[in-house]
Amino acid sequence: MNRTDVAPSGLLAALSEAGLTGRGGAAFATARKVEAAHRHGAQLIVNACDGEIGAAKDGWVIEHHLVELVAGARLVAPDARRIRYAAKRDSATAQRLRAAGLPVLEVPDRYVSSEETALISLAHNGLARPLTKGEPFVQGGRDSHGRRIEPSVVLNAETVWRVAQIADRGPRWFRAHGTPAEPGPRLVAISGAVPRPGVLETEAGMPLRTLLAAAGGLADGAEVIGVSGLSGVLLPRAAATGMRWDSGDLGRFGGSIGPGILHVWDPARCPVEHVDDLLQYAAGQSAGQCGPCMFGLPAIAADWHALSTAQDSRAADARLERRIDLLPGRGACRFPDGIARFAASARSLLADHLADHAAGRCPHRDRSNHAA
Amino acid sequence: MPPETTLPLETVGATATIAIDRVLCTGHGICAHVLPDQVSLDEWGYPILDDTTAELAAARAAARLCPARAIRLRTPG
Amino acid sequence: MSNELLWYLSRATGIASIVLLTAVVVLGVVTAGRRDPRAERATVVMALHRWLSLGMLSFLLVHIGTAILETYVAIDVISLLVPFTSDYATVWVGLGTLAFDILLAIIATSMLRHRLPERLWRLVHWGAYAMWPLGLIHGIMLATSDQPLLAATTIASGGVGAAAIAWRVTSSYADRDRRRAVLTEQWS
Repeated sequence: MNRTDVAPSGLLAALSEAGLTGRGGAAFATARKVEAAHRHGAQLIVNACDGEIGAAKDGWVIEHHLVELVAGARLVAPDARRIRYAAKRDSATAQRLRAAGLPVLEVPDRYVSSEETALISLAHNGLARPLTKGEPFVQGGRDSHGRRIEPSVVLNAETVWRVAQIADRGPRWFRAHGTPAEPGPRLVAISGAVPRPGVLETEAGMPLRTLLAAAGGLADGAEVIGVSGLSGVLLPRAAATGMRWDSGDLGRFGGSIGPGILHVWDPARCPVEHVDDLLQYAAGQSAGQCGPCMFGLPAIAADWHALSTAQDSRAADARLERRIDLLPGRGACRFPDGIARFAASARSLLADHLADHAAGRCPHRDRSNHAA
Repeated sequence: MPPETTLPLETVGATATIAIDRVLCTGHGICAHVLPDQVSLDEWGYPILDDTTAELAAARAAARLCPARAIRLRTPG
Repeated sequence: MSNELLWYLSRATGIASIVLLTAVVVLGVVTAGRRDPRAERATVVMALHRWLSLGMLSFLLVHIGTAILETYVAIDVISLLVPFTSDYATVWVGLGTLAFDILLAIIATSMLRHRLPERLWRLVHWGAYAMWPLGLIHGIMLATSDQPLLAATTIASGGVGAAAIAWRVTSSYADRDRRRAVLTEQWS
């Protein structure tokens, strides 16, 4: 199947048979998105922002497979004038795209700015903040304040690259990788306390220890592995080495494959304090549009800080648990849902460590003190 | 489907599905008073949707009275 | 109906209208300027704001209708909607017409709010801050010197409304503060 000869209906059938799902984290069926995009003549925004903490695969696609990516984009939006490539302002990715003569949508360096509807808002000369979702914006619509939104669709850079690959090599090639539930090759960015961080091509079902070995293995004393950054979960080293990289196994820890990010936490750093920093960061990244997020996130960060510094820990933990439960589904976007998932995972995995902090001890501090 | 449709005849027992626009919502809390079985308020005064189905007249009142126009209805059919 | 009765009715309903209008504006300002932890109170304020505005409209229509019908001063039907078209007190009556035009736009957009873009509703509703002083000036300038109570009531309404608006300008609440703070960050 030559990609330039693929008729739209042929493409849709191929994507459907391949079972390609979005690689940006939400895993929506790409065939349905592309079909709707064609039907409404939607403009395409290719999301190459690497917005999640620890993300790198979007930039990798731009660096190594730009020609195929552009071909894939043309399959989704045949009119090239209706395609834009979103990348963080001042990033190497943005520079590469500009150097290739492609229209770049420059995104401010804020966590939620690379969210799907934040990009759509930015593309309409608005602020890069998420929009309330009514009917899908692929068919066009209005934002909360009544401003007209043109038919627009956002696809992750890797997803668009895979579209081109499927058009070229066929769905059977795609399905030869991965699992029946999560087919196809996948990129994963591995970073942190590993000798060889980088982006690897892998697939769902790969044993996690194989992925970590490809990055040179875990550093000595590394105990915590983060999956999907701030919107994901934490894995303990012991479990990680025995499980597979798929949403089934990751689901046992409340996570999923997501946007392909593995970060091995620095063993020299107290994980409770690390979570403290991350939750403070998250609180400052709210788009300030929805009450439960703009007040809930700072409250959760304050509760964790109280746990970290042994200030009325039992009450703080009760508040933390209650507030985490009230985050999901109460914002315009899934940012608070992600933070709830992350905080719940951290609270569970680090329960013993938190108990130490409540008693005024910290295993990390004590270890380094003894060493000194 | 338009956000709020008007039925020509109101029938007893007619219901509507409520949705909250979280960007428009600024925490007035009127919806919680008009729809006590469906909406409660969190510690900052923002709505928690315990149930998205409400009796039509009450749902319409909530949508009309919300100062921020944050309540949207879907009437069945 | 005798001309004199029409004249008195027009002035009586005019005063009632400005008092009710001030009440409606104050109720709106209170809703906009704070977040009441007691949802029941917020609901009553909001319901009263809407209900009184329609009640005020009825008084206003009688006020305008009787002013047009009575023959003591020359105001024609056209002055119902087109400002500065009356022979009598062209400017001051005209301000009243202008205020009425804005009021009609506010009421119409409010009744159709769910079918209109929200930013349109907000833009028109902000017109209340023009409509109210226009109505006040109209009332003060047209109150004749032999009935000081009319002018006094109008001025008192002005004082109450002005105090409410001054409070609105200086008040704030957590939601507004946080939204504003976040908007100072880089979002484009």
